[in-house]
Parts: sequence; C-alpha cells; structure tokens
Amino acid sequence: MSGHDSKYFSTTKKGEIPELKEELNSQYKDKKKDAVKKVIAAMTVGKDVSSLFTDVVNCMQTENLELKKLVYLYLINYAKSQPDLAILAVNTFVKDSQDPNPLIRALAVRTMGCIRVDKITEYLCDPLQRCLKDDDPYVRKTAAICVAKLYDINAELVEDRGFLDTLKDLISDNNPMVVANAVAALAEIQETSTRPIFEITSHTLTKLLTALNECTEWGQVFILDALSRYKAADAREAENIVERVTPRLQHANCAVVLSAVKMILQQMELITSTDVVRNLCKKMAPPLVTLLSAEPEIQYVALRNINLIVQKRPTILAHEIKVFFCKYNDPIYVKMEKLEIMIKLASDRNIDQVLLEFKEYATEVDVDFVRKAVRAIGRCAIKLERAAERCISVLLELIKIKVNYVVQEAIIVIKDIFRRYPNTYESIIATLCESLDTLDEPEAKASMIWIIGEYAERIDNADELLESFLESFPEEPAMVQLQLLTATVKLFLKKPTEGPQQMIQVVLNNATVETDNPDLRDRAYIYWRLLSTDPEAAKDVVLAEKPVIGDDSNSIESSLLDELLANIPTLSSVYHKPPEAFVSRAKSTSARPDDEEYTDAVETSYSEWPSSSVDSAAVTSTSSPVAHSVAHSVAKQPGQVAAAPTPTSPPAPVPDLLGDLIGLDNTLIPVDQPAAPSGPPLPILLPTSTGQGLQISAQLVRRDGQIFYSLLFENSSQMVLDGFMIQFNKNTLGLAAAGQLQVAPLQPGASARTLLPMVAFQNISAGPPNTLLQVAVKNNQQPVWYFNDKLSLHIFFSEDGRMERANFLETWKSLPDSNEVTKDLPGAIIHNMDATVEHLAEANVFFVAKRRNANKEILYMSAKGPRGVPLLIELTGSVGVPGLNCAVKTPSPEVAPLFFEAMDTLLK
Amino acid sequence: MISQFFVLSQRGDNIVFRDYRGEVPKGSAEIFFRKVKFWKEGDEAEEAPPVFNVDGVNYIHAKVAGLMFVATTRLNVSPSLFLELLQRIARVIKDYLGVLNEDSLRKNFVLVYELLDEVIDFGYPQNTSTEVLKSYIFNEPIVVDSSRMPPLNPAAMFMQGAKRMPGTAVTKSVVANEPGGRKREEIFVDIIEKISVTFSSSGYILTSEVDGTIQMKSYLSGNPDIRLALNEDLSIGRNGGSSMYGSRSSTGGGTVILDDCNFHESVHLDTFDLDRTLTLVPPDGEFSVMNYRMTQEFKPPFRINALIEEAGQLKAEVIIKIRADFLPSVTANTITIQMPVPKYTTRVSFELEAGAVGQATDFKETNKRLEWCLNKIVGGSEHTLRAKLTFPQESHGNLTKEAGPVSMNFTIPMYNASRLQVRYLQIAKKSKTYNPYRWVRYVTQANSYVARL
Repeated sequence: MSGHDSKYFSTTKKGEIPELKEELNSQYKDKKKDAVKKVIAAMTVGKDVSSLFTDVVNCMQTENLELKKLVYLYLINYAKSQPDLAILAVNTFVKDSQDPNPLIRALAVRTMGCIRVDKITEYLCDPLQRCLKDDDPYVRKTAAICVAKLYDINAELVEDRGFLDTLKDLISDNNPMVVANAVAALAEIQETSTRPIFEITSHTLTKLLTALNECTEWGQVFILDALSRYKAADAREAENIVERVTPRLQHANCAVVLSAVKMILQQMELITSTDVVRNLCKKMAPPLVTLLSAEPEIQYVALRNINLIVQKRPTILAHEIKVFFCKYNDPIYVKMEKLEIMIKLASDRNIDQVLLEFKEYATEVDVDFVRKAVRAIGRCAIKLERAAERCISVLLELIKIKVNYVVQEAIIVIKDIFRRYPNTYESIIATLCESLDTLDEPEAKASMIWIIGEYAERIDNADELLESFLESFPEEPAMVQLQLLTATVKLFLKKPTEGPQQMIQVVLNNATVETDNPDLRDRAYIYWRLLSTDPEAAKDVVLAEKPVIGDDSNSIESSLLDELLANIPTLSSVYHKPPEAFVSRAKSTSARPDDEEYTDAVETSYSEWPSSSVDSAAVTSTSSPVAHSVAHSVAKQPGQVAAAPTPTSPPAPVPDLLGDLIGLDNTLIPVDQPAAPSGPPLPILLPTSTGQGLQISAQLVRRDGQIFYSLLFENSSQMVLDGFMIQFNKNTLGLAAAGQLQVAPLQPGASARTLLPMVAFQNISAGPPNTLLQVAVKNNQQPVWYFNDKLSLHIFFSEDGRMERANFLETWKSLPDSNEVTKDLPGAIIHNMDATVEHLAEANVFFVAKRRNANKEILYMSAKGPRGVPLLIELTGSVGVPGLNCAVKTPSPEVAPLFFEAMDTLLK
Repeated sequence: MISQFFVLSQRGDNIVFRDYRGEVPKGSAEIFFRKVKFWKEGDEAEEAPPVFNVDGVNYIHAKVAGLMFVATTRLNVSPSLFLELLQRIARVIKDYLGVLNEDSLRKNFVLVYELLDEVIDFGYPQNTSTEVLKSYIFNEPIVVDSSRMPPLNPAAMFMQGAKRMPGTAVTKSVVANEPGGRKREEIFVDIIEKISVTFSSSGYILTSEVDGTIQMKSYLSGNPDIRLALNEDLSIGRNGGSSMYGSRSSTGGGTVILDDCNFHESVHLDTFDLDRTLTLVPPDGEFSVMNYRMTQEFKPPFRINALIEEAGQLKAEVIIKIRADFLPSVTANTITIQMPVPKYTTRVSFELEAGAVGQATDFKETNKRLEWCLNKIVGGSEHTLRAKLTFPQESHGNLTKEAGPVSMNFTIPMYNASRLQVRYLQIAKKSKTYNPYRWVRYVTQANSYVARL
C-alpha cells in the first residue's frame, strides 16, 4: 500500500534532484515507485524535473502497471522538450504494444499518440496497425482514438497507411465502445479535412442506430451528433429515424437528451404528417422541462437552447410557461434566461399570470434582474395588443414605488409602448413627468425627452421641462444631446412662440459650433437649413407620422435561427452565434457577409462624409448616404430620429465646402504639368454620363516601392477643363496625396494620364477597417465630382517581405493562436502552381514552403504589410479548383479583412 | 473536444490540471479564474455563466463541493456533454476517495491523474462508470479523515438527528478496504426530493414542483441483481395515455402521477409497465437509478403566514408564522427563514415566542434581510416570530412591495412529498446466509420555498 501521497510534495534541504536521481536508480521497486511519484509531484506543481529524463525512462521496463503508468505520465509531459531522449523510450513502447496484457498494449498506444514528436510518430504506425485489429475491444477502442491523434500530427501518414479505411471498418465492430470511438475519431478527422472522409450512408445509419442502444452515454452523444449530419431521403425514413432516437429522450444524461432533441427537430422538417409532428412535439416537452431539474449550469445550457427551439416551434412548450417561473434561489444567469423565455411564451391566455410574476420580480433585490423584469413587462405590452393596458397599469404601479432604477427602466419601455400604440395611452404622461428630476441614466433621459418632444402640444409646460435639460446640454452624452435637439425642434414647430425660439437658437448653436460629434452636427445642420428655408416643409418632415414599431422578442432573424438550430446542442446554440464567429479554425461553412458590425460601420462612415455639402440632387434621392443613415437609425432606434431629408436646396455656398467640410487643412492642389505614363487600362470610376462629359479612370498602384494613384482623365465635353484638384476622404489606411495633381488643361476630346504620389497614415478614419476610398476631384469649369474607389492592401506589401523558412516558423509559433484569422475565398483559384507563385511574388507575396495534404496543396507565404507588419499566410486548395482557404497570422489581425480582399483580387 | 481539464479551489489554486490536446495556452486556469472572479455586467457583481469564451478559448465550468471543475476547448462542442462529464468526474473521484475536497484531491493526486487518463482520452470521454474503471485503476486511495470534514453531499443530511444511520457509510470509498480487512455488505437507496412551492400573498399555492431522485450506492460484492418496487399505482405523464410507458388507469386520490422520469442506463424496464418494478445490476459507486419530476398537487410541509405593516411613525412590524403540516413523528431540521426588508431599515428588534429553544434571529445589515433559524420543528407545531423595524425617514411607498418574499430552507428526513415509495428492495441471494444490510431512506429538502407578501 502506498502511504500518504502528499509527503511527496515535501522537499529536503539539499539538492532535491540528485537525491531523486539516486532513488530512481535504486534496486528496490518500492523506493523506485516512490521516487517516480515524487518526480510527478514536482512536475505537477510546475518544477522542472526534465533533467531526470533518462533516469525515469529507465524505470519504464517494469511489469508493475502502476509504475509504468507513472513513467508514461512523465514521458507525455517532457517528450516534447527532449525529443532526442524520447527516442530512448521507443523500443519499450513497441515492445509494450505487443505485451500479452491488453491493458499494457492499450496504454502503450495511447501514450505514444500523446507524444507529439516526429521521430516517435514514425514508430507508432506499426503498433497502431496491429492494435486496430487487436482481439481485445479495450485495445481497439484506444487505437481508434489514436488514429485521430496521429491525424492531428501527420495527416499524410494516416492516409498513406490506410488507417482511415481500418477506422471505417471499426464502425461495424461488435463492441459498441469501439464503434463510438471510431465515430468520434472519424468525425474529428472530417472536421479538419475538406475532402469527404466520413460519409453516412443509409447502411452506416442502420449500423449506428443499432450501436446507439448499447454504448455508453458518451458514445451515444458521439453517434447522435455524427448522425445529425445525415439527410433522410424522405418523410418515411425520417419517421423511422425519429422512432429509433425517441427513447433517448428518456436518458438521465442531459447531453444525450439534447442531442436527441436536435436530431428529432432536424428530421421533423422532412415529416409531412401533421399528426406525427404534433405527437413528436408532445413527446419532446417533458424531457425538455426535465432538463430544468438538473444542476444550474446545465439548466443554463438547456434554457439557451430552449430559447431557440420556442422561436422555431412555439407549440412545444406553449403550455409549460409555469416551469420557467424563476425560483428565488436560481443563479442570476438562469433567471435572466427564464425571463427571456417567459416573454416568448407569453400569450393572451397566460398574460395575467405572467404579469403577476414580473411584478414580483420587479421588487426583488438584484438590480439587473429587476431592470430586465420591468423591460419584460414593456415587451409583453408591445407583443400582446390586448394585454397592453394591463401591462401599462403594472408599470405605473411600479413607478409609484419610486425606486429610482425601476422608474428609469419603466420610462424607457413606455417610450416604446407609445411608438407601438400611438395616441392611445398618452394620458399617463403626467405621471411620468413627476419623476423627471430623478432621471440620471442617459437612456432614460433620452426616452423622457423624446416623449416630451413628441407630445409637446399636450404638455402645457413642455418648454419649461425641456429648458431644464438644456442647461447641461454640453455635458450630456450624445444620446441625450441628439434627443434634446430633435425635441426642441419639434417643440418649436408645434409652438413657435418666443420661448422655444430662443431655445432652438441655443440648441442649434450648441449642436453645430460647440460640438465635436459629427452625427449631432450633421443633424443640427439639416434642421437648421430646413427651418431657415421652408418651415412648412420642416413640419412635414420633422412631425411626419412615424412607422409603428413591432415586437422584437423573437429577435433572431430566420436564416440565423435555422443555422443556430442546426447547431444544437453546441456552444454555437448557447452563445447564439454561428460557429465561425468564435471558432478560430472552423471551416467557414458559408460565405456570410462579414458580421453586421462591419456593415454598420461602413454606413456610419458614410454619414460622416459629404453630409449637406452634396448637391441637392443627391439629397433628394433616398439612396443618398444621408437619407440612408437617417432611415437606418430610424429603424434601429425608435423615437431617436424624426427627420428625413427633403428636396430643398442648401443655402450654403458650394465652392469652399469641399475643403471645409471634409475637415482637412491642406488646401487643394493646383494642376501644373501634363504627365503621360502608360500602362494597362484603368477601371472607370467616374463615367462620362455622370461627369458631364468628363470621364475619370483611376487605380492605386505600387511602383518601385512607392504608392501612386494612377489617373486617366478623358474630356468629351465641349469645353476646355483646367485647374484640376484632388482630395481624399479619411480612410482606413490614411492614404492622402503626397504631391500635386499634375494635369494640363484638357481640350475637348483630349485625355491625360498622370501618376499621383501618395502617402499613407495621414488621415486615418476611425472604426473597423474597410476598403472604402472616397475621392473628390474638381476643376474650374464643373461642380465637384465624388467617386468611390477601393483600397487594396497589396499595394502596401513591401519588397522586403520575404521570410526565411526558419524565421517564418519561429514567428508563427511566437504569435498566439488568437492572431490567426481564416477565410474561404470562393472565387480564388490556382491554375498553375508556379505561375501563381510567380504572380504573387510580383505583388510582393513571397513563397516560403509548400506541402501536400489530402490532395490539397498548402502554400506558406509571407508578406510585409503597412507599417512593416509581417503577414504569415497559409493558402489551402487544389490546383485548378476554384475556392481556396486562406489563413493569415499577424501581430495585427485587424487588417485581416483587408488582407483577404487583397488576396481575393490577386488570385482571381 | 476537451482540451484541458482542471480543478480550482475557491481561492483559485490549481489542484488538478491535465492537458489533453495542447491547443490552449498554459495560463488558461489563471485567465479563467480572473474572468470568473471579476465577472461584471453593469454595475452589479454577477455570477459568471457556466459557459463563456475568452480570446477564442471556451471555458465550461461547474461548481461541485466548493471546487470549480473546468474544461476548456477551442471547438464548437456540446457544452451539456462537458457539464455532465464534469459532474460525473466529480462523482467518480468521490466514489474512489470517499470524500471530495481539496485535501483529498491533493493527497491522492496520482490516483486522480490515473482516473483522468482512463476517463478522457484525447479529449473524448471514455468511461465514467466507477464499476468499469476498477479494472483499469491500480492506485489505492488514501482516505482522509472524514469526521473532521463538514458534510458536503446530499447523503450527509441523513446523519443529522437520525442515529439509525451508519454515519461513516456515505463517505466511504467504494474501492478502499475497511481497516478490518473485509468490506461490509450493504446497499443504500435514498429517495431525495427537492420541493419548490410559491405561495401567493393570500396563501394560495401558485406553483409547486417536486424534483426527485432515487440515489443508490452499493457496497455489495459480486454485483447481484436487484429488484426495486415502486408504488403500484404510479403513473407517468400528466395527460394520461401520452406517456411513453403507457399509463395505468388512475384510481382516484391516492395515485402518484409523475410528469416525467428518466433512468440510469443499468436499469431494465421490462416489467416496469406491468408492476412498476425496476431491475438492475447496480454498478459500484453512487448513481441515480431514476430521476423524476412531479407538478401534481401535494400537501406542502409548511404553511407560511407573513405580514408587514406600519406600526406608528418610522416603524413597522413583521410577523412570520410557520405551521408544520406533517405528522408529529416526523421532525424537520436546520430550518432557515429569510425575508428582505425595506432598504432604508436601520434597526430591527426581534421577539421570539415564549420558551423558544434552539432558535436564533439576525438582521443582516449588508443585504437588509431578516434571518430566523430553528434547529428543528416537530410535525404539527407552530412557531411565530415578531420583528420591529425602525426607519430613519418616512416610508414613501407601499411596504409590502419593498419587503419580502419570505423564503424557507429546511430538511425533513423520513418524509417525502410525492408519496413515491420503495415497496421493497430485493437482492438476488448468493447463499442462504447472504443477508446484506439494506438502507432505504427518504428525505425532503426545500429548493425554492417562497411565500409572497
């Protein structure tokens, strides 16, 4: 019997390592074992005991399984740092893999697979081959997993040795544990390979469904998850599958239940008989509810999944709302999720019960929970028209308790209720106004101000109320400032008396001259022009009828919802995000347009651009940037923006606006000399039709390590054009003109080419990177022309971007995995390896190494991006087949979207 | 699949750490602990959800016996599988060590690592059955002195008050030999029910629920067959007839109707539909034979009457009355009653009933809460607490809205709310003299037992 293990942690004063060394070489078995235990103890607390490697390995040749296991544990830990010494252990491993004792055979294969050293891997193949066909199932199931380990280290080797086929044979093994592990290993290999390796046919389906009944709970999950990729041929097959899977709903293991639920939901899509579907829904409800009796951690996961399920199939749990009522001892993360589901299940039938609960929650201790409960009442009001009045009376009751955060939250939701049911509940405004001075949160303040502005004509002292907010205007957050601006304008339009008139001047002054916020400034300018040009039109615009908002409690849009449901019961369905959003090396399944944030950002940057300086024609068109961004925020934030642009011509003069409003100090550059560089045709950015006879083609190019803007002007108008000037708006890479635009006066019918030297990082725009480059060109005869060009990162790739192989590897390793970004480039293609490498080298993307894996070519390349940032590139794909996978690892992963776009262009 | 598994103490010390796939950087335990400790959303400190992602690494954790069991991964895995596995690992370790705590883990680290290698391979769960694992595990557990340990597991509550129970049994290792050499042949079957009840302000039952489990822990050698008989009139599925096991005609008031139930994989249900018996070969270690859920109405063990009312200026009075609605032969123990009072309360004075023994009261200043603890309550009895609250300012709202609800915690041994019974427990006989000890025990605990004001 071993004694007290903790004694191994005690240290002696003099030289611990030599002492251990001596004990390890002792001839007494017990002493040896104790010594190894001490070594392991030291290892687990992080001490370096690698110097004892040889001595420990010497203990490996023993019949004592306990000792052998300890040595193996040590080996796994240190083999990587001592690859040359690890070789010493190979012989014993190979010998052990043929030991008569199956436990030792399995142990040897399992451990060898964990040692990720190339030299060892080579020796692993033969033992693995034998063990995959071992008589003992324990050895076979261990070997099955080992194939996945080997594939992770060296995929080629696995394919060459035919292990994949052996693994597939194991699906028909008579031991369910072996089947389950073979399925797990194949599923993992499939995950990292783009080639079909693990296809589920109706034949494998039958075998796996049979194994399902006999394997361990974990094996059941592997099998169910693998089967969920199977697409049933028709409704009948789907029904058959469901019938076989349904008993799993009764399993005590929640993971099994959730995997079974997913499987059933998926097959239900194919089932046409409504009776069958109804019956299945009925069967799924009790097990789903039972998940809520598990540990709170599992409840949380279950609730996140149920949230998705009820969005798709509300009937399943329509009658179970009571089980989602919060228990007082639920952890807060469970309570929050239950609230969400209660809102989703709330109906005219149960709303009274639900409101009673919400009301109770709203007086609890936890502030966040209380807030969410108050908001939930509002959301129910918006969702259920017939219950709206009851919801509002509950909110009013809560306001009367005068707990500050309850009042603020209530006002926020009441604003939304007003937008949902205009002209219905305004009688309560007086009650709301009583709480005015207690508001201190921006969102609550903004909501209250919106209410005052919107109903200014019904509130006698609206001007006084607003005025009280105005004093602190400069200190308020942007959200409140915007609302104050809009509300004051509304007040002025509704009551154009002296008081409001003074107020509006103060506000417009504050919001134009004294602010740095472009949104606020732009909105104020629009109002200003509207009011000064045509107050009647301003009325039509500002006081226009607003669209009624809808219920947002089923908030996930349907294509995302379907994707998330297909990902039940994974992390994706818990985070409510598609897998690509958080898995660093997942195969991105579809080319979704990047995340929404990105598109949002582009829109915002639009609104910063020409704003009111665009000519009148642009303002009228609904697709103009301003109109677009306004419409966008109207849709997003009800009650925040009430203005839409109208067809009035801006009073401000045009000539100086360009320099003025773009906000740059460098004045326009006059044109001096003609220059006539030649080159390939440039893309047309300003067509003749738009440019009143002037056509401009342009492109960014790199020449001799320098960036130029190559331009071609063609004049087909009837006059001579001269005095060309150019200006670039702020952009991600901060590109700006480094010199003067040199174009000679252009005769009718003539054209001119020029190369404009550029500098980078001059006027960098904020926000996430995007490729938009906005250009303004003017001449003495015509209005200012605006056009958009695209930034391409590859013009930044410098000539010194070549990296040695070793350096590449070192840099790759030194960067954390989070710095790696992957993307599929569906349109990219390699027609010919050499030509592509050469072509990329011309663009300063340099070849480092190449390898083949599963019929795929993998190219490693390097480049040096803006500011000398190294870009380590991995390109995966097959020659001649469109669609490449591109991974980039760099200290600045934020440039990745630009990089992918550049690669896409280069590889077209 | 699982990249790393680790166990952290409450202070964040790394007690066990095993890396299975080498995909996640070493400092993950540190990153995890910081994130959990300083989890904040909004201004309130909040409890971190069991699943979250930091820099591409997913952390999935469960709290067991005051320790944090954590798994990390980079892949889009099934978190419920991870959470189940973490619970199961905790259970296996407890089966082996007898007690699960920091001390026992540290003392048995070699054994724990050996277990972890068998339970998980390359991040894939392999086997979590204590029974099966026995053939592959060679280290012997070092049993820590359990008498000094505070009770941690549900089974420990049997030790309170009920001297019939062999106290050491529940913290006994499944594999370690008794000091005397041979093991005592015995089997424990515990029917543990957690009940949730919400009373409305007028005393009506708004919701009630029983979450039950039949827990078994077998120390029988040779793994004999066992037959467990439940109430004959037990029926499953509320809507009668829609159950997967078919349902038997309910025969009036006495029927126990479960909403749903599930079983351990070792359970054979061949005769379940027929006579409500379960047959199984119990594997070693502790496991749930059956979990069940019931929302059928039942008689709540306690009635709570609470009220708060103004008592003159700047004062209010709280009266809480508890009535035990069960037989005098049954005694509930470790009862705690809590009630939040208005936040502006500055002082509270309590008045217990005359001759009260084993009762304590407290005003928790930090979270403005009354606490009333009773060592035990005998069936049929009634207890009252009066408290006077003092406010510094005029109360401006509705007192009942700012106080409450009253919540109650208790344990009642030898009582079960659902009336689900083990009619008999039959062990297949190996010989005539074979007569192992059989312990069938019932206990009911409060889960969420709340009365609104």
